[in-house]
Amino acid sequence: MKAIVIGAGLGGLLSAARLSKAGYQVDVFERLPITGGRFTNLSYKGFQLSSGAFHTLPHGPAGPLAHSLKEVGADVKIVRSDITTVRVPLKKGSQDYEKGFKDISFTDFSTLLSHKDRLKIALLIVSTRKNRPTGSSLQAWIRSQFKDEWLVKLADAFCGWSLSLKSNEVPVEEIFEIIENMYRFGGPGVPIGGCKGVIDALESVIAAHDGKIHTETEVLKIFVENGKAVGVLVGEEAYNADLVISNLGHAATACICGEVLSGEKDSGYLKILETLKPSAGIKICLAADEPLVGYSGVLLTPYAKRVNGINEVTQVDPGLAPPGKHLTMSHQYVAPENVKNLEAEIELGLQDLKEIFPNKKYEVLLTQSYHDNWPVNRAASGTDPGNETPIPGLYVVGDGAKGKGGIEVEGVALGVTATMKKILG
Amino acid sequence: MKINENCVGCGQCASFCKKGAIEVKGKARATDACIDCGICVLYCPVKAIEVLV
Repeated sequence: MKAIVIGAGLGGLLSAARLSKAGYQVDVFERLPITGGRFTNLSYKGFQLSSGAFHTLPHGPAGPLAHSLKEVGADVKIVRSDITTVRVPLKKGSQDYEKGFKDISFTDFSTLLSHKDRLKIALLIVSTRKNRPTGSSLQAWIRSQFKDEWLVKLADAFCGWSLSLKSNEVPVEEIFEIIENMYRFGGPGVPIGGCKGVIDALESVIAAHDGKIHTETEVLKIFVENGKAVGVLVGEEAYNADLVISNLGHAATACICGEVLSGEKDSGYLKILETLKPSAGIKICLAADEPLVGYSGVLLTPYAKRVNGINEVTQVDPGLAPPGKHLTMSHQYVAPENVKNLEAEIELGLQDLKEIFPNKKYEVLLTQSYHDNWPVNRAASGTDPGNETPIPGLYVVGDGAKGKGGIEVEGVALGVTATMKKILG
Repeated sequence: MKINENCVGCGQCASFCKKGAIEVKGKARATDACIDCGICVLYCPVKAIEVLV
């Protein structure tokens, strides 16, 4: 059996590893000279920056991605990060960090609520595990239960950091699935070697099973015969396959299917594709001699103007920076209407960092923004149509087709697992 | 070197530029150090860079 994978991002390579291990003859075609998509390292001034992701697995060594890596025999060490903390103003009622701040553990967020609201949280933690709220956004649900804006701020920081969305854009069901996954798998971890540590390990698995990865090779068309995907066009060469996996997201995949996907029977699918919105975000990479955060956990910053959270990956893997240096990266959500004002958004992020790290010395290495055709996520979490397409034998994996409740790359892994279950049984 | 509307500002080009000739802030911009070698073109994920000939 032959399988073709279009795109050597994390979803594509994970699929290729699974299929080659299951005995498929696998060819991966990647348009760029490098593999890994938005989940690999970019060397810059001696630092290992990333092409997208934060050198972080949201559920660390016990999560879906770590599980998938183990399953294919990919040799990656993933180290659990310290507990997530939240930076809050020192003085109650302050709306920023200017007059001082303290860091509290994420699990202690309710200590900032009134006594009555704290009791209510305790009750909700129990009752919502059985009866999950549905039918609204996270923000609308919070506001229906509490009058305290602190919870909305915290929700925005969390959603911004982990999904690059605002809490009013995230279905409450999706968040409760994520909370369940946090109970199940725990918090984040860092792969040693960063994102590329994972990509290199997957490539070794693919090579060991005689799979081939072709870089600088763009797939121009997906061939469909008798309604089924049968191969792809690369340059002027046709490659046949029993199975085609696309790592390009649903919309871009549909584009290279051409007129095959235009009939009345596909109109429902094509309509869904029109509703898919890629999420936008900005990453600011900082270099410092002394640690800025000081621990390996995520630091959420709900009282910053734009920055949602920060992590210092060198706390886990010092190899991601030159000796004696630290690499610290911030993420901020970008609202759709602000994508055209990225420079101003970056400026606000830089101001935030000055407030978050007062009296600390650092250098801004690089600002990186993601939107539209190279976004944070090709489809906002909880909105994509899954891994199948109307064409049998053609599947979509990657951040445009994640499983439910999967944050970022954990969702990519869940999506690949679901796809493989359909293919391999 | 011309950077077109496709650019999202991901900075991938800057990391592969051998001359350190690309600045990024919401969009990439070639500085005077650019020698039009065209290496960055290959690495751009959104086909945003055109080398002027």
